[in-house]
Amino acid sequence: MAEHFRGELPKILRLLAAPAGFLPLGPALTLAVRRFARRKPAVFDRLGDYGKCSFLIEPSDLDVCFLMVPDGTRAEVKCLRRRASQHADVTVRGPLLVLLGLLDGTFDGDALFFNRAIAVSGRTDALVALRNAIEDAELTPADFVGATGGLGRLVDRSVIGGLGLARRFTGSPIPGEPS
Amino acid sequence: MSLELVCPAGTPSALRAAVEAGAHSVYCGFRDETNARNFPGLNFSPDELVEGVRFAHAHGAKVLVAINTFAKAGAMDAWKAALANAEKAGADAVILADLAVLDHAATHHPNLRLHLSVQAAAATPEAIAFYADTFGVKRVVMPRVLSVEEIAKLNAAINVETEAFVFGGLCPMTEGRCSLSSYATGKSPNLTGVCSPPEHVAYTEDRNGTATRLNGFTIDRFGAGEQAGYPTLCKGRFVAGGKTSYLFEDPVSLNAASLIAALAKAGITALKIEGRQRGKGYVTEVVRTFRAAVEAIDAGGTEVEVGRLLAGLVEGGRQTSGAYKKTWR
Repeated sequence: MAEHFRGELPKILRLLAAPAGFLPLGPALTLAVRRFARRKPAVFDRLGDYGKCSFLIEPSDLDVCFLMVPDGTRAEVKCLRRRASQHADVTVRGPLLVLLGLLDGTFDGDALFFNRAIAVSGRTDALVALRNAIEDAELTPADFVGATGGLGRLVDRSVIGGLGLARRFTGSPIPGEPS
Repeated sequence: MSLELVCPAGTPSALRAAVEAGAHSVYCGFRDETNARNFPGLNFSPDELVEGVRFAHAHGAKVLVAINTFAKAGAMDAWKAALANAEKAGADAVILADLAVLDHAATHHPNLRLHLSVQAAAATPEAIAFYADTFGVKRVVMPRVLSVEEIAKLNAAINVETEAFVFGGLCPMTEGRCSLSSYATGKSPNLTGVCSPPEHVAYTEDRNGTATRLNGFTIDRFGAGEQAGYPTLCKGRFVAGGKTSYLFEDPVSLNAASLIAALAKAGITALKIEGRQRGKGYVTEVVRTFRAAVEAIDAGGTEVEVGRLLAGLVEGGRQTSGAYKKTWR
């Protein structure tokens, strides 16, 4: 796979982002996805049987990766050290800030692929299904922390604003503009 | 409003994004083989369409439902159900291609407004008159093989509305008559609603870059940093006569923004943006940009630089005005 992508985190941040610090994220993300599945089951209906496929999400600028099986209320997310050899039905690789932009709909997946801002391998049909389900889910940062109401709006505004700033700082692709 | 902007929506959230970005009309399809974007996880359930139509109408936009694949002989139930569900949802029109589906719609759903899909490839006054006289078709989507001059001549000889694609994926073949995908995968946009079905597509990374395979056939290979395109045979790279090249068509997107005024003058009623398989990011950027372009031309202002604004969203990093100019002649 390609080694470097546009918009990766600066080296100093990568060094600070020690894998051990991320590993507890797995159970927390598992709970967040299951909670979301109970709240919006239609998103997982859209995925159909592809919900049982495994998706390896590899931020190219971190030493950790995320292995996800988005099977509704039985969903599971594991946070792993990237060096561990891991089989998955689908692998998606790219800078963390770009991958997060796919989650909230900031970026168009096809455009990122055309511009080689991400790399994909494995079962393309499962990836397309996941991409379309995520597109329709209208995920927000508040969904991941289970915040609602005023607190949810505050979380969304802060995180989305922060991500926008971070993308400008790291030179991430800008929607509509060539990479 | 001089020109209607018809925008794509593959999901309910894309429909809302298109409407909020300024679409006059949104087109979408059901989650089955009755439409030409039958991809996993894409499209609308009947209930989602009801909600989508309600949202669009509340914001002053229309919803057009694409039921534009060719029905299978003796197995038309899915197409009949799609027509009934579109009418029940309050769709403003259905976009059809198949003679049997058109006949069923005209006979059993006389209140549904009928548009003729680009998949029908109607490019002559005689063909269009047949669809208008026989089924009451009110609008025809122009095949993407006609020049602006040819469209002007055609519009002068017919008495139905016409719609022209102005942005997005570009088929080099006459729509509805291309079977390239069938040769490699057994499926085509015409019958099953998918060109290069994703279950047959695989990307393999190695030291030389990325290889694109379609049902085991390597159809392209691009190096690190080289712009990529869709995994379709028509945009594959092949060796012929000892030379490797894009034999049929380069990976490239249509952009006819510079021809909006000419298309209006040629009698076009509506401008269509391709991309029901694309994300909200694409829908929002493209619809917003083209709405500004249409309004600028309506107001007699200067042309909006659509090509520059949307350069990051196009296939292969390249844009073309396609057959509209026919510069190769």
